Amino acid sequence: MEKRNPKSRKLPLTALKKGEVATVASISAGHGRGGVFRKRLNDMGLTPGTKITVVKSGPFHGPFEVLVRGSRLALGRGMARRIFVEIEQ
Amino acid sequence: MNKKKILIALAGNANVGKSVIFNHLTGLHQHIGNWPGKTVERAEGTLHYKGFTIDVVDLPGIYSLSTYSLEELVSRKYIAIEKPDIVINVLDASVLERNLSFTLQLMELETPIVIALNQMDIAKSKGIQLNTKKLETLLGVPVIPTVAVKGIGIDKLLEKAIEIVEKKPSEKKVQVTYGEEVESKIIKIVKRLSNAQLIYPHRYVAIKLLEGDEEIEREIQRIDPEIVIAAKEFAGEIECIHGHCCSTVMTSERYEAAGCIARAVQKVVSPMKPTRVERLHNFTTHRVMGYITLVVSLLIIFYAIFTFGDYTSEFLSNLLYSLEPAFTSVFGTGNIGKLVWGGIMDGLIAGITIVLPYIIPFYLILYFLENSGYLSRIAFLMDNVMHRIGLHGKAFIPMILGLGCNVPACLGCRIMETQREKLLAAFVTTLVPCAATTVIVLGLVGDFLGIHWALGLYLVNLALIFILGRLAFRLVPGEPTGLIMEMHDYRWPHSKTILKQTWLRVVEFIKIAFPLIIAGSFALKLAEVLGWLEPVALALNPITVVWLGLPAITGITLIFGVLRKELSLVMLGALLGTTNFALVLTPIQMIVFTLVAMLYIPCIATIAALVREFGWKKSIFITVFEIVFALLIGGIAMRVLGLII
Repeated sequence: MEKRNPKSRKLPLTALKKGEVATVASISAGHGRGGVFRKRLNDMGLTPGTKITVVKSGPFHGPFEVLVRGSRLALGRGMARRIFVEIEQ
Repeated sequence: MNKKKILIALAGNANVGKSVIFNHLTGLHQHIGNWPGKTVERAEGTLHYKGFTIDVVDLPGIYSLSTYSLEELVSRKYIAIEKPDIVINVLDASVLERNLSFTLQLMELETPIVIALNQMDIAKSKGIQLNTKKLETLLGVPVIPTVAVKGIGIDKLLEKAIEIVEKKPSEKKVQVTYGEEVESKIIKIVKRLSNAQLIYPHRYVAIKLLEGDEEIEREIQRIDPEIVIAAKEFAGEIECIHGHCCSTVMTSERYEAAGCIARAVQKVVSPMKPTRVERLHNFTTHRVMGYITLVVSLLIIFYAIFTFGDYTSEFLSNLLYSLEPAFTSVFGTGNIGKLVWGGIMDGLIAGITIVLPYIIPFYLILYFLENSGYLSRIAFLMDNVMHRIGLHGKAFIPMILGLGCNVPACLGCRIMETQREKLLAAFVTTLVPCAATTVIVLGLVGDFLGIHWALGLYLVNLALIFILGRLAFRLVPGEPTGLIMEMHDYRWPHSKTILKQTWLRVVEFIKIAFPLIIAGSFALKLAEVLGWLEPVALALNPITVVWLGLPAITGITLIFGVLRKELSLVMLGALLGTTNFALVLTPIQMIVFTLVAMLYIPCIATIAALVREFGWKKSIFITVFEIVFALLIGGIAMRVLGLII
């Protein structure tokens, strides 16, 4: 989407390792109807600037378990791939 | 004055204890139905309190009031159109920030609110201290702390709700204010809306127009298309300034406001250390232990249900069939007697011997698992597997249910987010061998050919589920949804809530399934009495005898299986005059018969459940497809097995 801070690394959530903390940079709308998934992820508290902690990635290429705004969420890989994060350096 | 009516709506995120509060308020005076024309559940109940007749509606658990899902749309419309006297907004005190973001949206609908700050005990155990007075001031809404599972605070909540309805206090409304750019746009749109008659408040409409809400856009399009165009332009400007789409910016700002309030009222006193529930969570989602726990728990559950079910089912059926002589003495042994007993009573007994022994324990356990939080862990573990057939982890839950009975399983597909996912999950579920199918598999193939053949058939069935699931996923239009699910902390569920949920489900099952089982049983008996079965069997000869290589009589028994699958085996025994099937069927015939019975049709009660959820067209399509498919597979199996055996 936008590139305001070229110095920081922008990665998909799937690139994070267990226990890593990052900040949500953007969520790609995908090709869904009017960005419904982005809206849904936003509604669950995943908005740009939100701190996100990867608790674990599910077994056998399974979903991610993350902590966001004090709640524990399970995100399927397809969803996690749309979330771009920045790791503080 | 003494018969005043109050309408209360309960709203909040999922898993915050809404249904526990609902049960406390309404006791047994409740029923569930669907929202008109929607496959969204609607729970309603009534209570009488201090001269008031209070209707309580439990809105679905949602995270937002947009149009992402039917649940959200239904809730929003309900609040805007039915205008409940008061909305009780239930919050999970241990996840305050996210819950408050919903509260702020609710406040945008400008409806009277009282907040039940629930799960105070869990918040406390997490070391979170809350200042409810401060929360009240910051929101301008009364806040009642509650621990619903223990019944704490419920009376106060009700008193407060009534008080607000009575007094209509004109408390200074606190509004979420968005950032400057957004606010200025909202004001501009509100100005343009000033003359419009709308069901939603003007400010709310302005906010939703900026967010690009489809329903509201359609509404306003009819009134003044220019406003929609202007709103789109404004949204574009905001996107330019912030670099994110306008809806994201607004949700983000709302969360910011919620976060500010949450931080102001809560204090985390003890450092977060792994508590018992946390350790349990880690264990049950572990990449090895998690799966072992899952398999072991499922085995225990099925073993328990089937042991209990078999025993109780037999006991009940013996008890009920002991009534037969009494019936015969009243109605005689003629055709009328046959119709009354073999038609109506047989159907009724069939229903009773399924519901009590199997369905009730199944629901009890299901709700225990759901309310405790384990179901969401199961969905987490199975997400990857379910993706292979284009669904996500949550779809595993109706599939487990399907092993017990396809009817609740089809209804259980409501947990999926989109209509497409619901349909796909239901289709896959109807292919899952239910308890009645298990009776055939074990009673025929298992007993006469050995357990390895029975297991083999299950594996074939599993493979077919995967193949057909994948195929359906490719063919049904629409985009797949991924898993986005909250995993709330484990907690000990509230037993009364489980009992009530089970009770409501059982009533629902009886309503859907019983009339059809009884009517179907009667119709078949009538056909038998009128001597129509033989010609039907004869007409089916090309399929049963020629294509499947089965005895002609199976044409009739497979029709009986439509009522209840295991009837096809029971009837076969009756019509062939022996239950030693080895004498009358070859091994190949046994396997082919079982395979066809496993796949050929969802039973009549399942069809009823499908119709209820998806309408006639899709249900008939699924039914016809499965009949054709089962026959096809049966015929192929017969020919392939002929080469092997």
